[in-house]
Amino acid sequence: MDSSSAFTGRRAVVQSLAAGSLLMPGLLSELLADSSASDPLSPKQPHHPAKAKRVIFIFSNGGVSHMDTFDHKPKLFAADGKVTGIGGGLSNQQRVLLRPLWEFRPGGKCGTLVSDLFPHLRERMDDVCLIKSMKSDDNEHYQATLAIHTGSFFFSRPSIGAWVSYGLGTMNGNLPSFMVLAQHLPYAGTQVFANDFLPAYHQGVRVVPGPVPIADLDRRTPQREVQEMELGLAGALNRRHLADRGNDQELAARIRTFETAFHMQTEAREAFEVGRESRPTLDLYGLKEGQADGFGWKCLVARRLAERGVRFIELIDGSSSHNWDQHGNMAEHADHAKAIDRPIAGLLQDLKQRGMLDETLVVWTTEFGRTPGVDGDKGRGHHSACFSSWLAGGGAKGGISYGSTDEIGATVAEKRVHVHDFHATILHLLGIDHTRLTYRHAGRDYRLTDVAGKVVQEILA
Amino acid sequence: MRLQVGYLLLIASPVLLCAPSGAAAEPPVFYRGINLNGPAVVIDGQKWDGNDAANYRCNGNSFENQSVPLRPETDRDRALMIRSSRWGGQIDVDLLEVPAGEYQVCLYVWEDNDSTTFSLSVNDRQVVKKYSSGSAGTWRRLGPWPTKVTGSVIRVSARGGDANLSGLEVWRGSGEIPTQGDSGFVKEPTAEQLAFFESRIRPLLATHCYECHSQAAKELGGNLLLDSRPGILKGGDTKPPIVPGDPDASLLIKAVRKKDAELQMPPDSKLSDTEVADLERWVKMRAPDPRTTDTIAAIKAKSAINWDKASDFWSLRPLSAPSIPPVNDGSWPSNDIDRFVLARLEAAGIKPAADANKPALLRRVTFDLIGLPPSPGEIAAFEADKSPEAFTRVVERLLDSPQYGERWGRHWLDVVRYADTAGDNSDFPIPQMYRYRNWVIAAFNRDLPYDQFVREQLAGDLLGGDTPEQAQERLVATGYIANARRFGSRVTDYPQHLTIEDTIDNLGRTFLGTTINCARCHNHKFDPITTEDYYGLYGIFHSTRYPWPGIELEQKQRDLVPLVPTDEAQRLLEQRKRRQDELEGKVRELEKQRNAAQGESRKSLEKQVADAKQEAARLASETLPFEQAYAVAEGAKREDVAVQQKGDPAKPGPMVPRHFLTVLGGAALPATDQSSGRLQLASWIVDPSNPLAARVMANRIWLYHFGQGLSTTPNDFGRQGKPPTHPELLDHLATQFIKSGWSIKALHRQILLSHTYRLASSRDEAATAQDPANELLSGHPRRRLDAEALRDTLLLLGDHLDPSPGGPHPFPPQTEWKFTQHNPFKAVYDTNRRSVYLMTQRIQRHPYLAIFDGPDPAASTPQRQASTTPLQALYLLNDAFVHEQAGGLAKRLLAERDTDPARVELAYLLVLGRKPAGDEASSALEFLRGVRAKLGSASIPPDQLDQQSWQALARTMFRLNEFVYID
Repeated sequence: MDSSSAFTGRRAVVQSLAAGSLLMPGLLSELLADSSASDPLSPKQPHHPAKAKRVIFIFSNGGVSHMDTFDHKPKLFAADGKVTGIGGGLSNQQRVLLRPLWEFRPGGKCGTLVSDLFPHLRERMDDVCLIKSMKSDDNEHYQATLAIHTGSFFFSRPSIGAWVSYGLGTMNGNLPSFMVLAQHLPYAGTQVFANDFLPAYHQGVRVVPGPVPIADLDRRTPQREVQEMELGLAGALNRRHLADRGNDQELAARIRTFETAFHMQTEAREAFEVGRESRPTLDLYGLKEGQADGFGWKCLVARRLAERGVRFIELIDGSSSHNWDQHGNMAEHADHAKAIDRPIAGLLQDLKQRGMLDETLVVWTTEFGRTPGVDGDKGRGHHSACFSSWLAGGGAKGGISYGSTDEIGATVAEKRVHVHDFHATILHLLGIDHTRLTYRHAGRDYRLTDVAGKVVQEILA
Repeated sequence: MRLQVGYLLLIASPVLLCAPSGAAAEPPVFYRGINLNGPAVVIDGQKWDGNDAANYRCNGNSFENQSVPLRPETDRDRALMIRSSRWGGQIDVDLLEVPAGEYQVCLYVWEDNDSTTFSLSVNDRQVVKKYSSGSAGTWRRLGPWPTKVTGSVIRVSARGGDANLSGLEVWRGSGEIPTQGDSGFVKEPTAEQLAFFESRIRPLLATHCYECHSQAAKELGGNLLLDSRPGILKGGDTKPPIVPGDPDASLLIKAVRKKDAELQMPPDSKLSDTEVADLERWVKMRAPDPRTTDTIAAIKAKSAINWDKASDFWSLRPLSAPSIPPVNDGSWPSNDIDRFVLARLEAAGIKPAADANKPALLRRVTFDLIGLPPSPGEIAAFEADKSPEAFTRVVERLLDSPQYGERWGRHWLDVVRYADTAGDNSDFPIPQMYRYRNWVIAAFNRDLPYDQFVREQLAGDLLGGDTPEQAQERLVATGYIANARRFGSRVTDYPQHLTIEDTIDNLGRTFLGTTINCARCHNHKFDPITTEDYYGLYGIFHSTRYPWPGIELEQKQRDLVPLVPTDEAQRLLEQRKRRQDELEGKVRELEKQRNAAQGESRKSLEKQVADAKQEAARLASETLPFEQAYAVAEGAKREDVAVQQKGDPAKPGPMVPRHFLTVLGGAALPATDQSSGRLQLASWIVDPSNPLAARVMANRIWLYHFGQGLSTTPNDFGRQGKPPTHPELLDHLATQFIKSGWSIKALHRQILLSHTYRLASSRDEAATAQDPANELLSGHPRRRLDAEALRDTLLLLGDHLDPSPGGPHPFPPQTEWKFTQHNPFKAVYDTNRRSVYLMTQRIQRHPYLAIFDGPDPAASTPQRQASTTPLQALYLLNDAFVHEQAGGLAKRLLAERDTDPARVELAYLLVLGRKPAGDEASSALEFLRGVRAKLGSASIPPDQLDQQSWQALARTMFRLNEFVYID
């Protein structure tokens, strides 16, 4: 087509270009009405009916000691200072056993034992399904962190959040489907929330507590009206361009992203403004007036994002350089627990009060546990042979403990839940069959659980 | 590839020995058995020598205790042999005067009291790592370990704890040797035993185990067959499941008891106590079993690859030069490519689209070849050139531009998953990696023939050069192999097998369009590639020295290749050492003086000592006095490797000679060859009889020109990939490619000068309805600018692009490296150079490239995705970079033109490659007036109104679909 005749024979665009509106004209809306074909983030039907509609995934980085938190080992209290052949952990060395530093007490009506590290969370145990028989395969932070997120120990693969986004889409087109609240990066860096070979729509969007939670979220054009005029002209020119090109859906979808982005500038902002919450709500999370950081802020923002339809929200507790990795002195676990105990308990309570807990699966996990034997002076080493994690809400059976370790917490004694099983179960609760959620890449169908994974049926409510 | 049968046999016979069909394997022959510390015996019907035998020596201490009960029990001669042994923490057993050839070695070991741990090697190759000897009475026949004897000795060594070595059993040949005497098992079951088996055991096994552990299993679990006696005797990936007579030592029993954390069977249910008791009883009665059919052999026969059939597949068939198809409209084609395309369109009854207009064509070809838009001057010149050669001239100008290599080199860097860091847990920087990047760019610019391009990347160090410079360039080219990913944080147990897998994986995809790495643990599920093929290539890289990039527990780089002659490097190193010694000597001397001095002179000497120390430290921290390449070299040991069963280096299987893929002829490295085999590998790949090399590369080049390949799976030409839409056209391109001397630029010319390339992107409704995916190419596929083209263009338009080639990145000096998995290397370096020069980390995405579908830095990216996300829109709305470039463009428009209409025209030419049409100019002017008014009322000073309102127009244009899509 000759450029001079570019305006003949196309649908008339009556509106003056310069006064173009942001509102979507009929043509474009029609085109995108059945958007499942063109919009990879449109909500999708799960494989089977499910209670959980979304996930809040809390990852405590560094390796949380199971026997000091959720896995009560009375024998280990008694065996302090003894050497056995099963100290576990790195290269399975013999170690002098170290007693846990905290007492355990029953919580809730169910009476699940939780140590004094988590006094607030302990009160919520009726909603919590504790898994004490978790198992990973690598004693390195990096590999184990990658695995609990992607199912792969060595190779970059899509994160569980990206898989869920890919499998279920999003409930709110004005927000990303997978958001990651991370002040700092954990081990393995951005890989833990990467889309990898899945389309980029599914990548985790990192939220950094502070003045700019999402890169480029704030309008840089100082005058809002000028930005609107810019978008108006671009929109009009884009629609003309679209009409000239047979209403190509890809072009139409791109026009819409500008509308989404425009709204995100305010809507996403709003989600981060916890100041609008009532005093009692702020108290639940342990937030002070005007506070916009800390784990309480992350938990409250997680609830606000969940309310707004974000499918998968990950909260990262700790970073690769400051975390639960207490080789030298287990007492430091107290600081890390204190930072998250009340906020997480508050989150569970808040979700429950608002009737959201049934539809929201809250997951807490870490990359591995710690050795029953001492490491350094008073610390514990890395221990992937067993550790604890928990699920709450979203169709998980509250008030139970599943699986067990041996008497000192060195190995899984029964009902082992491997990382792949854990993933399979989370997907199941969302209505996804982990063997059917596949993506063809480089000549084969990949899935989150590789060739393994078994749904833990007994913990489904 | 279908080769003449004679040729296939001639070339491939050494390989076929280990192919799963086992067709050419000769049954092995018993060579020798030696009772290491006792008399001659007869075991499994073979005559064994005693410890007085000739051509045998052993340095272990003699030990015998015939009173220890053996577990499992065994026959008299074997028990006699086992319980008389040689022990020690450093034992070598030597067989001498062994004729050259292939052997398999088995070793009997036992434990007389407390368990100990030791490792075993055969001829210095470790075969068992940390074997645990078990409780008193435990014995085992370990092996067989395939061993190639060239130096007339077989040496079996035990290192570690005190091992008891009882007997050595050696077979000649590489076929399967008989399993250990089944003496422990009931040989002839009684009727009563059979009845027990039939009523209690067979139904149980069939119900609970056969689903995964029988011939009929959909997927065989752990390679274990429980549906026959041979299957049970052989065992699966772990040792045999039954120790006859000893339930507690039998893995089968351990598994069904479900007490062990690691081993629990069946996975989904639990046997009843009675069932477990029945199995225990069966094992106790030494597993009487009438099921003698060899199901292992049956499965092997079933899964054997039929090589003739395998090579009869579109991508493996020999390249043909297909005849040019006739077309009805003889005036339409410009060259033969068009005839292939038009013939298909005519057959489908689809009319090709009209030709693209000149501005659209110029914009298309300019982005295509150099990744940047045409300048207004180039647009005007092309518009004005009415000669038939106008387009040819444009193509030649662009192919000659140095920016061509930056664009097309980037495509290659995508495929080879280029990164400037190593990918280990701390992601160590590789300051020298840029040399390979620049080598690739230069290779495209000088149109290095593709076969040579391949050779230099795989074996440039072995090619030498006409000049020292050429030899150095070729060394740098092997950065391709060196760039393979590193893993973990450790040094002593560094997982080199994963780095080699990454090498083979990329090599297969890049050069052959084949997913070879699928055969690491098992034969390829879809393609005719065996595990032996995988380890045949593995041996080549096992025999190659990779540079060490530094890793958490060993931070210093080593094994890089000096870019000066070896003796020169030596001289410089010695020179530096001398200087270092001098400086340190000076420090010592001054310290001595200082210690003797008092008062003022002591003070002055203190300072002198400090200065001298500083000088010495400075020299020590300086980088080496010569440049180095991050490149590979021949390994210290150049040798074949054994198959790693299930991909586990600790489970060696049969040895495999280094060779090329069997289905591609299986050429093997000559036995006399002393090299790694990389040069041969390169020549096997680019041998004209290998149809994959040219097909794969021709498809890639087509893909980058059209945005879609003829095969849409450019890295997978196997059964899981997609066959080409135009197979004859692909073969035509591939044969022309080879004929032109593998010239990539010649292939560009052919494609670009075709009529097909010049079509408009708008197709009529009939074409769209009939061929929605545009597979038949009735119009040019529209596509989005990739991340680099977008960023480079914004920089160019904003007048900020630095067109100079990039050099090294500003990494922190090596002497300061302290990277760990806790504090990994992480950086983003700003630059106004083209995006191909951005520092790319293996495991951290560059924030900009992550948003716009940049290449995956950890795996080969054969084709960019083009996702459309709100984050991209946010970037174009609000990112400082975009605003900065818009400001630059505004400034330029204001400076270069005097009137607003002229400025609008220039903006359209720069951003969209065409002049404004219809009401576009007036709309732009109206927009500017509106913005100006708004800004004025927002009290923006009048002297900034021009700049700011033009900047608003520039931002608007940067968000247009017409800007980011190429018609």
